[in-house]
Amino acid sequence: MSPEQVLHDQLAALQSFLAVGAVLFGVGLIGFLSRRNMIVMFLSAEMMLQGVSLSLVAWGRYRHDLGGQMLVIFIIAVAACEAAIALALVLMLFERKGNLDIAKWQELRESNQPPFEEEWQPPEDKEEPPQWPHLPPAGVLPESVSQKEFYRRKV
Amino acid sequence: MHSYISNLLILIPALPLLAAAVVAVFGKRVLREQSHWPVVLALAGSCAASVLLVFAVQRAQQDGPHEHLVKLWTWATVDAPVLSTQYSVPSTPTSDGEAESKAPADTPAFRMDIVLRADSLTAIMLAMVTFVSTLVAIYAKGYMHGDSGYWRFFAYVALFVFSMTMLVSVSNFVLLYVFWEAVGLCSYLLIGFWFEKPAASAAGLKAFLVTRVGDFGFALGVFLLWTTFGTLDFHDSKVQTIPGTHGRAATSVVYLAPQEINDENISGTVQHGIFGDWRLAQKSPYGDIPDATILAVCLLLFMGACGKSAQFPLHVWLPDAMEGPTPVSALIHAATMVTAGVYLVARCTPLFAAAPDARETVATIGCFTALFAALIALTQTDLKRILAYSTVSQLGYMFLALGTGSQPGVTAGMFHLFTHAFFKALLFLGAGSVMHAMGGVIDIRQFGGLRRKMPITHWTFLFGCLALSGIFPFAGFWSKDAILAAVAEKAAAVHTSSIYEYLYYGGTFAAFLTAFYTFRAYFLTFQGEERIPKEAGHHAHESPPAMTGPLVILAIGALAVGAYFQWTGDFLNPNGFLMQTPVLTALKAPGAEGAEHGSLHLTVALISTAVALAGIGLAWLFYLARPDLAESVTKSAKSLGLYGLSHGKFFIDEIYAALIVRPLEAFAGLLAWADRHLIDTLVNLVGAFPRALGAMLRPLQGGLVQFYALVMALGVLALVGALLW
Repeated sequence: MSPEQVLHDQLAALQSFLAVGAVLFGVGLIGFLSRRNMIVMFLSAEMMLQGVSLSLVAWGRYRHDLGGQMLVIFIIAVAACEAAIALALVLMLFERKGNLDIAKWQELRESNQPPFEEEWQPPEDKEEPPQWPHLPPAGVLPESVSQKEFYRRKV
Repeated sequence: MHSYISNLLILIPALPLLAAAVVAVFGKRVLREQSHWPVVLALAGSCAASVLLVFAVQRAQQDGPHEHLVKLWTWATVDAPVLSTQYSVPSTPTSDGEAESKAPADTPAFRMDIVLRADSLTAIMLAMVTFVSTLVAIYAKGYMHGDSGYWRFFAYVALFVFSMTMLVSVSNFVLLYVFWEAVGLCSYLLIGFWFEKPAASAAGLKAFLVTRVGDFGFALGVFLLWTTFGTLDFHDSKVQTIPGTHGRAATSVVYLAPQEINDENISGTVQHGIFGDWRLAQKSPYGDIPDATILAVCLLLFMGACGKSAQFPLHVWLPDAMEGPTPVSALIHAATMVTAGVYLVARCTPLFAAAPDARETVATIGCFTALFAALIALTQTDLKRILAYSTVSQLGYMFLALGTGSQPGVTAGMFHLFTHAFFKALLFLGAGSVMHAMGGVIDIRQFGGLRRKMPITHWTFLFGCLALSGIFPFAGFWSKDAILAAVAEKAAAVHTSSIYEYLYYGGTFAAFLTAFYTFRAYFLTFQGEERIPKEAGHHAHESPPAMTGPLVILAIGALAVGAYFQWTGDFLNPNGFLMQTPVLTALKAPGAEGAEHGSLHLTVALISTAVALAGIGLAWLFYLARPDLAESVTKSAKSLGLYGLSHGKFFIDEIYAALIVRPLEAFAGLLAWADRHLIDTLVNLVGAFPRALGAMLRPLQGGLVQFYALVMALGVLALVGALLW
């Protein structure tokens, strides 16, 4: 293999790695921006991180420099810690509002700005009061006075 | 001897100041109804000190005119280099070496020492002020009894006496101005003493504002004096500068006594005061100053005097000042403060002597005011206002006398000031006594025939009226005669185009009017059938001894002081006590010599007595003997419009309102509108711009995490795009 060929192969590999990294990053970004579930958003953020890590490794390999790989190992370790903290936070937020929707947390807006409101509301499931069969009255009514006393004594 | 005079001189203002402080601090809670004690005691002490001062000054004058100076402390010093970069310290047009000596480099360019002076003029003024104020304070104990502001009144009075005694004893134009304003402040406070009454507070404001017009001229006069002379001291001083050692500032020692200044062993520069010995010893004291400057200074100072002494264009405040308590009217607006203008002109006699045109202005305005105020007084119905116009008129007499600029004139003016203080204070206190008995009614049409109900007030008031009318041998006779004689003498001495001749006739006619309106008030109040307004209630009886006592003492004064001092010659004699004042020595210059000075001019005296008796007779005819005659005269005067002119005070207030007050109010309204609508709009716009910008950007901060993330991503994209592009 001529040195030119080697160089060409390496460049092609780099391009492929970078393309995959970019796709990972882009998908993660779109996910982060478009999904409102906090866990999914966190997953998307992780995906962006992996895309960047991948490109770092690719560059490191291309330049025969182990610094990139070293850095990625660091990133993975840190990301693990960060995942633990982030999931704990998400859990706390979920406990506060009973919901994972990020749009429930907008208290940090300017004080005189109106809150963001959903334009589309999911149809509420209406609970119809149950219709019981109507029965005609039967038997004799007990005497009202004694009934009152009876109840009162019971209470 | 010197320290004795110094102690007296310091004691005289210090006692009232101390009393004012004591009453101001303890009056409301501790002293309450006893607040008069510290004031009366302090004023009596001041009065005793003043009398001792008069004798001490007289003893010190064994060998010629003498002034005694006491330096208390240095109030302000401005170093020469600082000032000389801003102002060129004036040099005189002659500029032959003498000019440089005035502001040498090693003396401060501007220094103001608090220096008190004792000379005859000051001693007389001090004695008069403290004597009248003591009596008025005793009187006020009875008059103000039960007033809710009792302690406040006495605190103000003591403060006033302090200011007035300082005014006449300081030796510097700036300090004179300071105390000039201080007496104006006390006057304002006391006119508006019953400030719940709208008329009283308005009168206080009016007095303050109108006198400010004059004070503005006075201030300009002081500025002009400073730029002309480079000093504002009356006296000569020698300043020795002691250089500082090791970080200490240089100190300067001031020598004031003539022998110290002439001492060759003291190194230092001599500063020649405006009325200092050096200048007065010259043949023409202000020969190095242009005539126009002297004239301007004199006219500006006279403008201040006009404001304070209620002369013609600025007289409008004094009659309204009668809204104050009557003791105040007697003390401030008759006897003492209003004579400050006369004192100022008398003190500046050497300046006025150098400006004949200014003298003629003073005499003309004085004579005009005397006539004008007397004409207004003819038809007034408020007893206190009649006396107020009479005060304006008598002050006009004093200025007429000072305006002659001759030795008999100036001394006669001061003599009239002195006697006037007695009988005018007496008349005001008498009016206050009447007012007290009549339950606050002061309109002479409402009461009459009070001679039996109030015998002491009646007799003392009659003495005051006789003195004011100038009837022999009461005080007013001697001083008024001296003034008219001086004017007549001046008219005879100046032959060409003499304005003084007309002034003499004017003064004589004013004497007739004075007698008429004085006795009109007297007859309507005390003679005729007894009429008592229903407001009087059970008050219609003689006033308590605290009020009648001062009346009696002042009545004796009104009877005797004129004849006594005419006999001793302290005022009028060319070598008398008053003429020992250094500033008046210029009058003894050879040019100013007339016939025999200080003697009684028989013709003038006869004429003035005759016109005064005619005035009294006319008043008797109109208001006692033939009231129908008075009515028919009034009716014909009304049909001619003369009565309305006099009754409406020549509509000066209305003219001022139309010419000055209303246009200024309209202008102020315009400015207020512009401020509210133009300026405020502009300022609000400046504030509104960032606010609008903020409102535009504010929706970005919506609180949605994903929106922030989107903006961040877009921002990164834009950054990357910019880097790549």
